[in-house]
Amino acid sequence: MVRRPLPSGLGWVVITTFVFIYAPITILVYLSLSSAAQPAIPLDGVSLRWYTAVLADDRFVRGMITSVGIGTVTAIVGTILGLLAARTIMRAPLSARSRSAVATVIAVPLFLPTVVLAVAIGITAGRAGVGYGLLPVLAGHLVWVLPFSTFVLTARYAQLDARVEAAAADLGASPQAIFKTVTLPQLAPAIIASVLFGFALSFNEFLITFFLAGSGITTMPLEIFGKVRIGATSFLNAASVVVLAMSGVIALLAARYDPPG
Amino acid sequence: MQQIGWSSRSRALALAAAPVTVAITLGIIPVLVLFAESIVWAASPDLPAMLGAYVRLEESVYLAILGRSVLIGIVLTGACLGLAYPVTYWLAHRCPPHRRVVLLVLLTLPLWLNYVVLNYVWVWILARGGIVNQLLGVVAPSIAPVPLLYTELSLAVGFLYIYLPYVILTLYVAMERLDAGLLAAASDLGASRMRLVTDVILPQTAAGAAAGALIVYARIAGAFATPEILGGPQQQLVAQLITDAFLEVLDLRFAAALAFSFLAVVMFILLIGLTSQQLRQEVRRW
Repeated sequence: MVRRPLPSGLGWVVITTFVFIYAPITILVYLSLSSAAQPAIPLDGVSLRWYTAVLADDRFVRGMITSVGIGTVTAIVGTILGLLAARTIMRAPLSARSRSAVATVIAVPLFLPTVVLAVAIGITAGRAGVGYGLLPVLAGHLVWVLPFSTFVLTARYAQLDARVEAAAADLGASPQAIFKTVTLPQLAPAIIASVLFGFALSFNEFLITFFLAGSGITTMPLEIFGKVRIGATSFLNAASVVVLAMSGVIALLAARYDPPG
Repeated sequence: MQQIGWSSRSRALALAAAPVTVAITLGIIPVLVLFAESIVWAASPDLPAMLGAYVRLEESVYLAILGRSVLIGIVLTGACLGLAYPVTYWLAHRCPPHRRVVLLVLLTLPLWLNYVVLNYVWVWILARGGIVNQLLGVVAPSIAPVPLLYTELSLAVGFLYIYLPYVILTLYVAMERLDAGLLAAASDLGASRMRLVTDVILPQTAAGAAAGALIVYARIAGAFATPEILGGPQQQLVAQLITDAFLEVLDLRFAAALAFSFLAVVMFILLIGLTSQQLRQEVRRW
């Protein structure tokens, strides 16, 4: 039997970090399986009844549908705009100054505290007569997702060989044909990753939605926050696990197409 | 030739127009509107009257909360860095290469999870009847239950939990660029572990760490969900004040003045950071 060497001090820090990140999530999943409305440790009994209750709850289902809808629209529009931005930053026949200006303008929301962005969009929507609701929420999510999708796609563009596009142009391909047959296939994994990451960002976004939704619409994070304020319950645990599982699966899928680092 | 050059240029401008318009309309113009909203516009310009909403900020409670938010942001970013340094060093230089990507994905996965839920999880752990107090009840019944939830401690744990993955991701990028040959050379020449950290690792990664820190501290200082879920009334932060003014009291001018003051502080610290050439390069790398 081969004995593995004991972890060093450094190893313990790494193990502790993993425990710190994943133990709370494991505890939540465990508690969500309780059969009582208020779970106790150890559980009185294991059941999936709170998951059934979540899926039967009108508000949560409505919140889920709205979140998925907003996430899908934001992810797709954000990725299309991000693609245009990345193309401009990496390939446009413009001066280096103007290309870097485009990058700066798009990165601005990354440096704004979210609460400031949320109030600013809220006040602007009010002044513009748009008010609260779906439209300002979509706008807020879009400007939040755009820097990320631009970043993912710019990083991928940077790895492409510009000479392949140049060769296609020399051989007489039109810009549209080059984009469709040369650039797009090479960018495909990053485009998929950008859509998935954009969806996860929008699906989980809470603060901007909290400021801009008004009373007309509700999303999954808003529903959960509202319930957290009232108190911790088994129902809320199950709903939380559903949200974590959905975003976790999407993020892992995205990481397959575009690993971090 | 001239004609072709011009048309490809104008096509490039047309392609760039959509994302730039969206970013300006939704990201930059709202900040200008925010500033305009915070000012009292009168027929006869009179500076103190125009800045009325800001004068209210001088009431000590608001300034104290603004200051504390920024302070908590700085302290907890420091705590995140303290933990992220050994972790990312191990990941980039000690971890078996075939496991590296999987472990990095696992360490940064919470970035893509719902932060309301990630805060809420700690309620079960830190509450009076929570897991920590249950364990304490077994180990040291005389001191349990200890008030943990709605204290500075629960607030700090929540921030560490939410923002550690951001710091790990940004620091990992800098740590990966750190030349392993440099580390080997230093230790071959007899550098102690301590010297390795202070003379090689820290100076080589400081700019990358600072670039990440400049973004994370502002996110912590402006956080709403974590103090709302895990903090008590004594731990109010600036985002809660802004939210109250905007959504509860409906005093838009005061909300705008608070938000703009907070933004000014954040930008001031960011600009100080960006006076360093190295830092500018790091931020541009993003």
